[in-house]
Amino acid sequence: MVATFLSNFARAQRQPVDRWSIGVILLCGLILGPVLAVLLSAFGDSGGLWSHLYDTVLGRYISNTLILMAGVGVVAIGFGVSSAWVISRYDFAGRRMLEWMLLLPAAIPAYIIAYSYTEFFEYAGPLQSGLRHLFGWQSPRNYWFPEIRSLGGAILVMASVLYPYIYMVTRIAFRLTPASLFEIALVHNRSQFWQVGLPLARPAIMAGLALVMMEVMSDFGTVEFFAIETITLGIFNVWLGMNNLVAAAQISIVGFGFILALLGLELYARSRQQYVSSSRNQTPLAMLVPTKAGVLACWAVCVIPLLFGFFIPVGVLVGLVATNDLLADFLAIRGIIGNTLIVAAIAALVIMVLSAFIVVTASFRAGSKTRKLALFASTGYAFPGTILAIGVLIFTGQLDRAIAALFGPQFQGILITSIGVLFLAYIVRFQAVGYGAMISGVRRLPANMMNASRVLGQGYMDSIRRVIMPLLKSSFLAGMMLVFVDVMKELPMTLLLRPFNFDTLATYTYQFAKDEMLEVAALPALMIVLSGLVPVMLMSAMLRRYR
Amino acid sequence: MTRFAFPYFKLTRQYLAAAVFMAITASTSIGFAAEKINIYSHRQQVLIQPFLDAFTAKTGIETNVVYSSKGLAQRLKAEGPASPADVILTVDIARLSEYADLDLLTPVDSSILQANIPSRLRSEDNRWFGFSERARILVTSKTRVAEGAVLDLEDLAKPEWKGRICSRAGSHDYNRALVASMIAAHGEAATETWARGVVGNLARKPQGNDRSQAKAIFQGLCDVAIMNSYYYGNMKFGDKADQKDWAQSIRLVFTNQSNRGNHMNISGGGVAKYAKNKMAAIAFLEFLTEEKAQHLYGEINFEYPVNPSVLVNGELASWGRFKPDTLPIERLAALAPKAQMIIDRVGW
Repeated sequence: MVATFLSNFARAQRQPVDRWSIGVILLCGLILGPVLAVLLSAFGDSGGLWSHLYDTVLGRYISNTLILMAGVGVVAIGFGVSSAWVISRYDFAGRRMLEWMLLLPAAIPAYIIAYSYTEFFEYAGPLQSGLRHLFGWQSPRNYWFPEIRSLGGAILVMASVLYPYIYMVTRIAFRLTPASLFEIALVHNRSQFWQVGLPLARPAIMAGLALVMMEVMSDFGTVEFFAIETITLGIFNVWLGMNNLVAAAQISIVGFGFILALLGLELYARSRQQYVSSSRNQTPLAMLVPTKAGVLACWAVCVIPLLFGFFIPVGVLVGLVATNDLLADFLAIRGIIGNTLIVAAIAALVIMVLSAFIVVTASFRAGSKTRKLALFASTGYAFPGTILAIGVLIFTGQLDRAIAALFGPQFQGILITSIGVLFLAYIVRFQAVGYGAMISGVRRLPANMMNASRVLGQGYMDSIRRVIMPLLKSSFLAGMMLVFVDVMKELPMTLLLRPFNFDTLATYTYQFAKDEMLEVAALPALMIVLSGLVPVMLMSAMLRRYR
Repeated sequence: MTRFAFPYFKLTRQYLAAAVFMAITASTSIGFAAEKINIYSHRQQVLIQPFLDAFTAKTGIETNVVYSSKGLAQRLKAEGPASPADVILTVDIARLSEYADLDLLTPVDSSILQANIPSRLRSEDNRWFGFSERARILVTSKTRVAEGAVLDLEDLAKPEWKGRICSRAGSHDYNRALVASMIAAHGEAATETWARGVVGNLARKPQGNDRSQAKAIFQGLCDVAIMNSYYYGNMKFGDKADQKDWAQSIRLVFTNQSNRGNHMNISGGGVAKYAKNKMAAIAFLEFLTEEKAQHLYGEINFEYPVNPSVLVNGELASWGRFKPDTLPIERLAALAPKAQMIIDRVGW
């Protein structure tokens, strides 16, 4: 059956399917399996729940979700693109430090930032207490203060930790934009940013934005804590409140549909444009030297996102670490830190190798259908973690049954009872991050690079190895860095799919944060940030070398 | 191409074979380890660890735990007969009945469990059992609300509380069960009218968890809140000084004392359908209903014992005796979907 499918696939593409493409198709099938499991479980009887949902909450769910997505999108693009531009085009004191620091918010889990923001901004928090002290206000009735647990608060909180996805890829795009184009803008007295940088960075910005949107769609921690009724919150209300997993899966398809529409829109928009630079940077791009006021502006552009995404939440956490014996507490969780780093490192490497394989093969070897399949295989990111984890469980359970039927009952449950199920879940979810990083790298390559290499007599594999891969190194590293911190802070899937007696920093933090015991959760939460620091700095240094 | 690709392939195949071999030996050797039970828990590890330690000290049986707040029933279901889980521990009857509905628990015939747990706190077919009771109560401001000003849950819909009530989101498990108990007492239509009244009286959009409601009373944002009683103990005896202040500012009101009694929920558990260590699993459940463990529930998390022969003591006793709602706990799960629909309709 698989063979017929493949040959049909080949015929449809009007070109022979080689084993590279088959590999990609099979891999995408594996990655899409759990997504399909969720979609399939939606084909059931939801017991007439939809008319109830339609009459009551569905409108709220959808409008809140759309506002949240739009808001986070705008703010994250604002933060990410402006800081990426300043860092890649201006030469000012502190630039090198800010360059890697701007990535740090990515290491802070969203549920932690929501808790610590509430600590900081709410009535009893340091900010309002300070204001009351300063102005002599007595009670909440004396003054107006924005409510942090609101849609606006959620937009700020989420955008502050999600903008690095855009910053990361956009910075590389700006850096790889040919100097000659900037020079042309300079000669013609046109804006380097609006007329050269931004249009040419669009694929990268869009790749980052897609990740941000999917992250927003799948978030449960923040919206639950802020009590914002989004589609994801609705999924859980229906699943856990009405014992109706079928209807929950159906709602999650609505959210999934939003993401598909977004991806489709971008695909359509791009189909009419080409982003190709015909040359590598022959001459290094001269950095702009800002005036004194300009330096201040550069700092402001970089420090504002850092303030919201890093300094405020980390400051709150540091203030909360109530322990006198930091070393003992640290030693107590060293095993957990070890687990976390090992799992994140393995997952990041595996995911990036798979992503590179998929993207490169789909782009240079396979037809347009395989390319679409590769894009579709990166949509697992749009599902809430717990729902995706259930998809992984259903899929793996079926796979196990097939294995047991083929090879004998001693293989029963061989996959689902192993830690492999957790890694599969990481791959399904974070494939999107790897894919986004690699595809934005590939899209910037000159189209004739591969052709030139093949014409010069190099084989496909040699061309990839000698020509394409070296040009994609920075994308590979950027993706690896993002996947690493993503896996490190991942919570719902790790919680559900982990082996017995196994903790990562995220799960360990969560069991305290769940009851708002933030003072106990603060140290492991800080450890997530600190453990993220080292690889972020390391990979930043490597990135700088591959510029 | 060949120079690069083929040796690589061979190598991976050998590694793959070795990995599969190791995986098989590892998975089979697990069966010969010392006596142990594997637990899937919806309760946080910090809350159950003292029970596990006491159990291991008493019996020598080791325990392994996976904790997750959601989805463990789906994991158990997907694992099927291969599942390593022996015991399921949950909070809230809604989770317990989810396991029962999916047929993931096995009936346990134990005279100890029968004797130690009142029949309203366990399933008729002996698949799940309640181990501790949790009281969902009202708390009022000590300074702004007179003692006795609010007595019943029903009072929350009265106009005098307009703009004075705080609550977490209605669709949280705890509030959903509370609404279910109202349906059991008054029927759907009356409960919806009541819920609409409560929502109309809210001082702010429902948000946060139970602790944040006490905090809101302390801050003067509202005067009455719905809260699980154990949060009071956790705030009073916790590490945080400001939370002690919150606890200081509130009075506990066990509701409906002149009629059906205070709304109760349970933490509970059962034995997994495909448990490999069934005897040890049953021993663990029995242990949880014995005096030592029953007191632990109160000492660790201020929850009430289910075992009628175990007296409430210490801090819990100081909160006063009260009459619990004797509604069979199973009804709360049965009515939960209807409760959620009401919550959706009134926008709680």
